[in-house]
Amino acid sequence: MKVPIEWLNEFVVIDIEPEDLAKRLTMRGLEVEGLEKFAPRFTGVIAGTITRIDAHPNADNLSVCSIDTGREELTVVCGASNISVNDRVPLATVGAALGQDFVVGKRKVRGIESFGMLCSEKELGLTDDHSGIFTLPDAITPGSDLANLPIAHDTVLDVSVPPNRGDCLSVFGIAREVASILRQKAKLPNFTLQTYGDGRVEDELDLAIHDTKACPRYVLKLIKGISLAPSPFWMRRRITRSGMRPINNIVDVTNYVMLELGQPLHAFDFDRLTDSRIEVKVAQGSSNFRTLDSIDRPLETGDILICDGSGPVAVAGIMGGENSEITGATKNMALESAYFNPFSIRATARRLGIRSEASLRFEKGIDIDNVGYAAERAMYLMHELAGGTVVKGQREIFEKTEPRTIYITYSNINGLLGTHISHDAVTRALRSIDLHITKEDENGFLVSVPNFRHDIGETADIIEEISRVHGFEHIPDTSPVAVLKPQKLTQKERFLSLIKEYCLGTGFYEIINFSFFSIKDIENFLIPGDDERSRYVPIMNPISRDWGVMRTMMMPSVLRCMAYNLNRGAKNLRFFEKGKVFFQESAGGISERTMLCFAITGRQKEYSWKEKHSDYDFFDIKGAIEGLVERLGVSCQVEAATEPFLDHGRSADIMIDGIKAGWAGAIRDDILQLYEIEQTIYCAELRFDIILEKGNLTLQYKPIPRYPQSTRDFSFYADDRVPIAILVEKIKGISPLIVSVGIFDMFRKEMRSVSMRVVFQSYEDTLTDERINALQEQIIGELTKIDGISLRA
Amino acid sequence: MDISGLKEKIDSEISRIANIEDLKRVKVSILGRKGLFADYIDQLKTLDKELRRDAGKAINEIKSWADVRLGELEKHFNDIERQKREQDSLIDITMPGTTPVFGKKHPITLTLEEIIRIFASLGFAVAEGPDIETEFYNFESLNIPSDHPARDMQDTFYIRPGVVLRTHTSPVQIRTMEAQLPPVKIIAPGSVYRCDNDISHTPMFHQVEGLMVDKNVRFSDLKGILSIFIHEMFGPDTPLRFRPSYFPFTEPSAEVDIGCVICRGEGCRVCKDTGWLEILGSGMVHPQVFRNVGYDQEEITGFAFGMGVERIAMIKFGIDDIRQFYYNDIRFLSQF
Repeated sequence: MKVPIEWLNEFVVIDIEPEDLAKRLTMRGLEVEGLEKFAPRFTGVIAGTITRIDAHPNADNLSVCSIDTGREELTVVCGASNISVNDRVPLATVGAALGQDFVVGKRKVRGIESFGMLCSEKELGLTDDHSGIFTLPDAITPGSDLANLPIAHDTVLDVSVPPNRGDCLSVFGIAREVASILRQKAKLPNFTLQTYGDGRVEDELDLAIHDTKACPRYVLKLIKGISLAPSPFWMRRRITRSGMRPINNIVDVTNYVMLELGQPLHAFDFDRLTDSRIEVKVAQGSSNFRTLDSIDRPLETGDILICDGSGPVAVAGIMGGENSEITGATKNMALESAYFNPFSIRATARRLGIRSEASLRFEKGIDIDNVGYAAERAMYLMHELAGGTVVKGQREIFEKTEPRTIYITYSNINGLLGTHISHDAVTRALRSIDLHITKEDENGFLVSVPNFRHDIGETADIIEEISRVHGFEHIPDTSPVAVLKPQKLTQKERFLSLIKEYCLGTGFYEIINFSFFSIKDIENFLIPGDDERSRYVPIMNPISRDWGVMRTMMMPSVLRCMAYNLNRGAKNLRFFEKGKVFFQESAGGISERTMLCFAITGRQKEYSWKEKHSDYDFFDIKGAIEGLVERLGVSCQVEAATEPFLDHGRSADIMIDGIKAGWAGAIRDDILQLYEIEQTIYCAELRFDIILEKGNLTLQYKPIPRYPQSTRDFSFYADDRVPIAILVEKIKGISPLIVSVGIFDMFRKEMRSVSMRVVFQSYEDTLTDERINALQEQIIGELTKIDGISLRA
Repeated sequence: MDISGLKEKIDSEISRIANIEDLKRVKVSILGRKGLFADYIDQLKTLDKELRRDAGKAINEIKSWADVRLGELEKHFNDIERQKREQDSLIDITMPGTTPVFGKKHPITLTLEEIIRIFASLGFAVAEGPDIETEFYNFESLNIPSDHPARDMQDTFYIRPGVVLRTHTSPVQIRTMEAQLPPVKIIAPGSVYRCDNDISHTPMFHQVEGLMVDKNVRFSDLKGILSIFIHEMFGPDTPLRFRPSYFPFTEPSAEVDIGCVICRGEGCRVCKDTGWLEILGSGMVHPQVFRNVGYDQEEITGFAFGMGVERIAMIKFGIDDIRQFYYNDIRFLSQF
């Protein structure tokens, strides 16, 4: 809401600097988001009087004017047609600067020397009006520098009005708050409405309301014989600076009064109202109605309609109809000032997609007690601006509401705020914002809430008002009085913190992606229809199709992120992400699951002068996963890959206790192409819920053996059909004295050859060569029994 | 037995030592089993007791003197030897070192962890809720009625009528209060969603919600706790202010601003010339919210607050485009 301080000053005396006012309003909860300062954007412009206008001898649409500046008489050539002798006008003298880079010079216009130029409002940066020369009020003496006049200066406050403070959507509403800050009382504009003639509105217009819940108050007034014209400068300037556009005197007055008092108004062409009657109805059923912007609007049950004898003439509070709008031919005008049910207006405005200044105010709730006053104010201004005669009386229906009262105790107030605000201070604070104490006892009091405060309904609302007026800065900072209770990390938090620690230590960069992806991603990854990952949860109103559904797997977003980096010159990446995936369950249910995703590409380092780094392979991603789950007290096994999107030559399913907990491996290169990736990506996805369930973070010390350990190396030929893991398991199973089995070499020369190092360790004594030799023989014996395994000599 | 001249003889031999080989040879010839001293010691046996004692003493003195001399020389030659070895294997210490690989946390995580750490130290426990929420938990229970502007399709992602992507972490307040009796002292970090995508909005972002409910929790306590938080997070000298605001689920409601970290309150583009930056929203829990979860609003009070993690991270790290968090550009991630 834009509020010119010059306008505000009509209702309350602003005797502080605009910056200070802005700060104090902000601290009252009416945040001033900006101060727009209007200073003269010109120099060398003075007031002058036109003493003579002659036609230009060489140009039809130019005239030659003599301007009396009080000191001299200057000749000026002018192209505008709205000037006449004796007008007071702004004269930009030779050397005057207008705006940033225009300097007025003495120049010949079609053979006649012009000593300056007459200016429009726009040329002076006052309004957007460029239709003619700005006519100054006669009160401005010729010769006075326009830059020194108050009209050239102003500050406009840009106030962010909270959604519950509809009462502040007007200059007067803001003035009420300012008055409370400055310990004044805001004054409504003073005027006397002149009416003429014997006729009464009651004789000329009928009014009926079918539903007083939808419309508890409606006032109709009538003015006859008006003439449409542009509004005077002062009104256009206020309207412009408040962020609206001036149109003509009738429309401008309705907007002006809305900005001034917060009451939206609507003007009907009286002569176009069939049967001279207005009925307020609530629509039953659907129909179409053409609004004044020539669009056919669908009406539905519940919309509040303003009708004449033949049908709708306006959608209440939102927009008038083409059939009754004010036109250049309008002579007689009926004015509506009303209160409509905020919820109905909001529902209709929302459905029609119209958010006007009027509907905005009706939605927030206007001051029902102000409806009549606003109508009078508008009639007065219309008469002033458009002439005509105001018809006596009015049509009105008013279903009065009693002001609410709320009982509150002093201990309520100070107990909730943690303050010691005195009775007097409470009373003063409330009175300053028109909340009056009607009854009092030793514990508390009864407050009466004015009808314009729709936001105040219970004790807490009153306390909020007191705290606001008292000032948050005067409320102390305290420590809560509470029982101390240690807060333990949950198991989940402990696991996640260990996982992140592990990832950091192993060179993974954490990434965070949006929780949505595209159906296309599911297709790209060849997820079959019976897989849970095809049961995506769609978003009704997504930002784009790329983010159209909730993700059911992490990898597509991680892949996109890798592509993003690879396209920007990165070659080696190690990423991990912890995030949620979402599944549609039967009967409308939705499940959420936390996942861990890892992806590596390239090599650990691009180069090193010291050692050669080889490209990542399957065992790098497998090792990362193995290391992680081991850190969390779980061991995992691998099984043949079943994921459709993986290269089955170098991928695996990850199993924990026989349950599939995820997968690891290389993404198929035809899928990588879909994401415009040309290098191999090794990645893995793990279910965090399974790790959390199976994991064990208990730490238990095991004594360090006091006896030395021995090692023996073995080399076997192993057929490709025999997984090496089986050999390792076999050896481990032979004796508890075998504490570790490692693979230290593998090569292929006709047959696959694998070399293993076995470590023997006893906790009871030093193992003799004889015992180790016996175990060695047992290992060779057991392994060579397997089909496809033979000892390498 | 004549030991005169022995010392001089040894001295001249030692003086001729030119390298470690000489030293080894001379050492053997003097101190060896068949060396000079062995000879003299043999001769001692032939002397009578009195003489033997005096001569023995004199020989021993010379022997220890020779020991020390030879020892010093050995050390000298070893030093030369080692220095030569070191010179021979001299490396260019200015070549780059081998850095161990290490990863980095996302700046959102860093910021979240810091927020959680501060509130955990003040006794707040971490609570969680689902990302996909019902309108009831996301709106109604929080006193946001069905015709409230916040419920426009423009702001909220709908899954289907009645089900939304949570627009804030506040539903966790309700879920927690429904599940337990007061006192409640929680923070709820998590992802939230709104239909927006520009330089200052992403469709998903992160919030941390806080809630403290007990007997006699006061607005002044809210101010106290949040002041501690701000000073921990942004430094003890950070100016801050509590400003009246409006949220449907708190009353009174307060917006918390900190002095602009860019211009130090002078006014700049980032703070829109106000000198202040909005950091978090807060307030006393609205009585209607208590009624909605079945708490006795006559008996207990509480405060709640919520903050945007990205916003805090942007202010702390000087990031000017919120979308940077979600491009996951390695050149961005590696800076934290």
